[in-house]
Amino acid sequence: MTSTGTTTGTTAGTGIEHGGAIDAGTDPGAEIRPPAEIRYAGELATLDAWDTERGHERPPGWRLSPRAVRAFVVGSEELGVSRKFYGDDPLVDRAVVSLMGRQGLMLVGEPGTAKSMLSELLSAAVSGSSTLTVQGTAGTTEDHVRYSWNYALLVSEGPSERSLVPSPVCTGMREGRVVRFEEITRCAPEIQDTLVSILSEKQLMVPELGPDARVAARPGFTVIATANLKDRGVHEMSAALKRRFSFETVAPVRDRAFEIELVQRQLEAELGPGSGSGGDRPEVPLDVLEVLVTVFQDLRTGSTREGAPVKRPETVMSTAEAVNVAVAASLEARYLGDGTVTAAEVARQIAGVALKGEEEDARRLRHYVDNVVRERARNDKRWKAFFTAAEPLWR
Amino acid sequence: MAVSGSAASAREGGAAARRADSVWERAPERLRAGADAVRRLRAERGIHFAPVRHHSPACALAVRAAIEELRPAAVLIEGPEEFTRLIPDLLHEATRPPIAVLSLGGSGSASSAGDGDSGEGAGFYPLASFSPEWVALRAGHDVGAELAFVDRPFGERSAAEGALSGRAASGHGEGGADGGTGQGDTGQDDAARPDPFARTLMSERYLAHSEAIAALARRLGCRDHDEVWDQLFEARRSAELADWRTVFDDVFAWSALARLDYEESVLAADGSLDREARMAARVAETADRLAASPGGPVLVVTGAFHTLALVEALSGAPEGSAVRDRQPEGGFGPTAQGEAWLVRYDHERLDGLRGYGAGMPSPGYYERLHGAHLRELGLLDAAPDSGSGDPRGRSSARPAPTSRPAGPVGARALATEILVDVARGASGRGHAVSLPQVSSAAESATRLAELRERAYPCRTDLLDAVRSCYVQDDGGVGGPGEPERPLGLAVAEVFGGRSLGDVPPGSASPPLVRDVRERVRAVRLVIDDSVPRTARLDARRTAAHRAKRQVLALLDFVGAGFGQLVSGPDHVAGRGLGLITEEWQYCWTPLVEARLVEMVHLGATLEAVALARLYEAEERLAGTGTAAAVGAGAGAGAGTGGAASVDAVARLVAQALVIGMGSHLPRIVSLLRTTLDTDRDLDSVVSGARRLLGLWHARVELGAEEHAGELLDLVSQALATAAYLVDDLGKTRAEDEDAAIGTLIDLRSLLRDAASAGDSGSALGGAGGADGVGGANRTAVVRELARLRDEKSTAPAVAGALLALGFTDGEVPDDVLVTRVRGALTAGADPGTAVRFLGGAMRAAPDLILHTPEMFDAVDDALRALQGDAFLAVLPDLRRAFTWLRPTETHRLAQRVAERTGARVDQVDVRVALSEEDLAAGLALDRELAAVLERDGLAHWAGSGAADSTGGKA
Repeated sequence: MTSTGTTTGTTAGTGIEHGGAIDAGTDPGAEIRPPAEIRYAGELATLDAWDTERGHERPPGWRLSPRAVRAFVVGSEELGVSRKFYGDDPLVDRAVVSLMGRQGLMLVGEPGTAKSMLSELLSAAVSGSSTLTVQGTAGTTEDHVRYSWNYALLVSEGPSERSLVPSPVCTGMREGRVVRFEEITRCAPEIQDTLVSILSEKQLMVPELGPDARVAARPGFTVIATANLKDRGVHEMSAALKRRFSFETVAPVRDRAFEIELVQRQLEAELGPGSGSGGDRPEVPLDVLEVLVTVFQDLRTGSTREGAPVKRPETVMSTAEAVNVAVAASLEARYLGDGTVTAAEVARQIAGVALKGEEEDARRLRHYVDNVVRERARNDKRWKAFFTAAEPLWR
Repeated sequence: MAVSGSAASAREGGAAARRADSVWERAPERLRAGADAVRRLRAERGIHFAPVRHHSPACALAVRAAIEELRPAAVLIEGPEEFTRLIPDLLHEATRPPIAVLSLGGSGSASSAGDGDSGEGAGFYPLASFSPEWVALRAGHDVGAELAFVDRPFGERSAAEGALSGRAASGHGEGGADGGTGQGDTGQDDAARPDPFARTLMSERYLAHSEAIAALARRLGCRDHDEVWDQLFEARRSAELADWRTVFDDVFAWSALARLDYEESVLAADGSLDREARMAARVAETADRLAASPGGPVLVVTGAFHTLALVEALSGAPEGSAVRDRQPEGGFGPTAQGEAWLVRYDHERLDGLRGYGAGMPSPGYYERLHGAHLRELGLLDAAPDSGSGDPRGRSSARPAPTSRPAGPVGARALATEILVDVARGASGRGHAVSLPQVSSAAESATRLAELRERAYPCRTDLLDAVRSCYVQDDGGVGGPGEPERPLGLAVAEVFGGRSLGDVPPGSASPPLVRDVRERVRAVRLVIDDSVPRTARLDARRTAAHRAKRQVLALLDFVGAGFGQLVSGPDHVAGRGLGLITEEWQYCWTPLVEARLVEMVHLGATLEAVALARLYEAEERLAGTGTAAAVGAGAGAGAGTGGAASVDAVARLVAQALVIGMGSHLPRIVSLLRTTLDTDRDLDSVVSGARRLLGLWHARVELGAEEHAGELLDLVSQALATAAYLVDDLGKTRAEDEDAAIGTLIDLRSLLRDAASAGDSGSALGGAGGADGVGGANRTAVVRELARLRDEKSTAPAVAGALLALGFTDGEVPDDVLVTRVRGALTAGADPGTAVRFLGGAMRAAPDLILHTPEMFDAVDDALRALQGDAFLAVLPDLRRAFTWLRPTETHRLAQRVAERTGARVDQVDVRVALSEEDLAAGLALDRELAAVLERDGLAHWAGSGAADSTGGKA
């Protein structure tokens, strides 16, 4: 399938490329990270064909049937569609169904639990594009959510269709597409509340163009918002807005074996196949991954598998961070070390990658190394390597 | 792997899976052979198999349809064969599920009388209205089929599994990793389990842990084997479920796949093969018998996991040899007999989610689902509730428990109703759910079901819809693994269910259980469900409350685990006697019935059991006696061996009165009288007498007015004994002085109470009167005390206490007090003795030193006169002596001392602020010290309390 290639604005001359600027024909390799609909264009096309063949019903405004959307996210061996979101299939089901409803979808969870990825995948599958995105920050204003003006045109022509700069939300309504609102809780509550009337009335009034001027939402329009629990959380969100979203909490992966598999897979995606499978990157042995994931799980849950309490660091010990550590450890081994990844590399990288400079966190990690790791190092070679490398780091 | 073919076909949903022939073509060889054998057995020997999952409404509907169509001559059901005897009671019209057959192991209750409360070897065979086995019984009976249970007797099974339990824990270790469902289904090896009786005979460990089913779950996108089951079977429409041939074929394929995962050695070790040997043999016997005199087909209703084995054994397949080899040469002989009872059961224990391993989770939901299917099929008219699968099952004895006019027709209507009920439950608990939320949940559930290719929203779809639409923040629903929240409680209530069954009056239920149920109902305690309830009782004023309390106390006394006193006067322990109302918490769980069943050997009525327990306690007291030595060692020295303690017997008197068994008092009273003659422990006598006096005060609320005279008479006799024993106090050794003074203070309170006792009750006999109880005996005690006070050889602390008390009571004049105090503390006296004396006085009347300047002076002088070394030697005791003062009194004393010495008050009265850490450090030190002492064999130095507290840890 091709990119929809929408041109969202008429702000010619600003020098900023817009949604449609990256031509679908351009080599995706030229971009660090192409959007999901380009990366998985082949899979989306397969699913589209599958829907047509089976006669699956597509909700109004949807590119794919709900079943195909689900298959796109959780994968299907039968159709050769890869799994992209792991760990909680029922959550995906609920999310897909929520998108069919009148409400928006709110994905909440700890950082690094793949909320944004899930929102990207869902909008790519449902609307064929994942680029209608509002990035929530403290500086987000109402203009970003509603519309703003091309002031040069506004001054010369007055308010007109041509001088109006639509926001991604506005575009999404017009074209019946999924709009993503990232990190919605980073915005001030007043700005968040701009969505209330949009979501309930499914229209956006533009009084500047006349008393009856409005943008009406076409079928297929909905909002997927993500909210980070480590920031201000959702409790500051107004009740009115909360009512207009279905909440889904994305939990970190709990199963150790599964997380190891996940890290392995991501590692492959980032750095290509390991030397064992003909690649040129040093293989990260399974037992080293085990150490890495165990450390992350211990610190994330606040207790070891044996039940010993561990001080939880402030920093987020997500699977994504674990992948970062694994990548960094591989790079260190490849470019600075002897080409084998050991627990020692992992220990060094955890210090750099996972610790975001909080004084207290260093203490917590020291406590962990001093108590848990020291104990394990007594009768386990890998942990011994980890301990030897980690001990001087946190002195 | 082997599963792929069938799993792939199952993935296509209903349609393909139902094309039986093509399914079997893609199945593993052994399965295909099994399917052929099923057909052959059906055609040649008239044996039809109904493989079921326990407590599955889908299977229940199919079983019903099969029986109605086949009209079998015999229905054989998995379940210990000795249960066959109970079938008439199971069929009784007053029997209302959920119920369970309770087995107490092979030994029978009579021989295990000694350890009746151990709970070892008890097992439940639960039946819900939607259990296929239950439906098989009822429907089989309706078509006039012969009914029988055919499994291995529980006694044999329990012995075999008991031997295995140690290994089972490690053998299935891998099961723990794949999630919480269905774990620990054998139960008896899990020490942490709170409910020793909730061991089910319908285990499904193998299905929960099967690799094949796990693979199927991954393919179908299901989270666990329960959802796989829902997807494949429960999601079928009512009419599809009535197509029993297809349902059973599919269930057979599903479970046979799981069966192939397990090696013969595992199945042999846990007794599965032995059970299957028995079942196969019984099926063959029945089929042959019926073939001889043409009757009709045989329907075999068993857990699906066993079906393949039974088929292979019966058809002579080579794989069946393991089972056939376990059949004895001459068959198993006549049906085994064994003890088994019908007891009421509840949904809570039926719920697989709560770890009891009885099978399917959420019995409340599945019960309603079953009802909805039946209504859709027109098999259940607008019954007053969805509680029973059988329209005839409405018992006339009691009204329907709910007032729902008519249940939903069909599973789709049920889905909406469930969502509404959850919303209502959550709103009632403070989690508001609005109507739009409910409607969006209904919509969401329907869409989820469509997405997951189910005919209507199933359990997980509903739960997901609740999670999607009722949760408006990041906290989740709440429940297992999450903090408790109102919504989670509402979900637990609706899906878990609250039903409690009923069993008929008759032999199936032990008379004791019936009696207790009647007793409890008679006093209007609610036992229709297993929800914990609270009863607030004012026994003093309300006769009905008195009756309730009596029943509650009676059940508590026999150890039925029904209710417990939360607050209020406890006459037996002697606590909270001043309180007027009492609060009991009670809850009629299956556990209560199980405990009662264990007591059947004690008697047929609650009274009989209580009496037996009372006599037991009495014999214990009379026999071994000396619990007396607990209190003061004073006087408990020589010659008391073998005698009972007055206090313990008085306690028994209290117990008898509290449980309303005053009529059996004479025996205990006579024991008490002899004990009063033999007990040489003043403390025990005094405590006993106070207890008796307390009972007399509570005579109205205890309904013991008729015993009032006797109680006072006993108090009087106790006073006489006390008068005799008082002398022992004088000989108290230094280390026992504390206890002795405690006794003394109690004795004084007893005297006071006794003096006022007779006043309120006018028409008292004998011992009581306007002058109080036991006038002469009281005087005797007072006289003895006075004598002791003036006796030179009296232990100094006792003398000090007597003097202080005497002064407070006005028996000792001022000048005598001062002289005695000065005498005791005089410069020439031994400092140790002096401080003991002072300690006794301070403990008995702490404020004396404040109110009596002369005493203050005397103490002051004495302390000043002490030499440095001597002072240091007595300082600890001295310090202790002053701790009996209250803080304000300490402060006043400090003021005096400051005046006298010219110091400032704050220099004398120093408050030491101790933090929690200090306390912890102190405790740690204490423990360490105790440990050291114990190591050195000096534990008694640390005092008995310290030794006890460390004993467990050492």
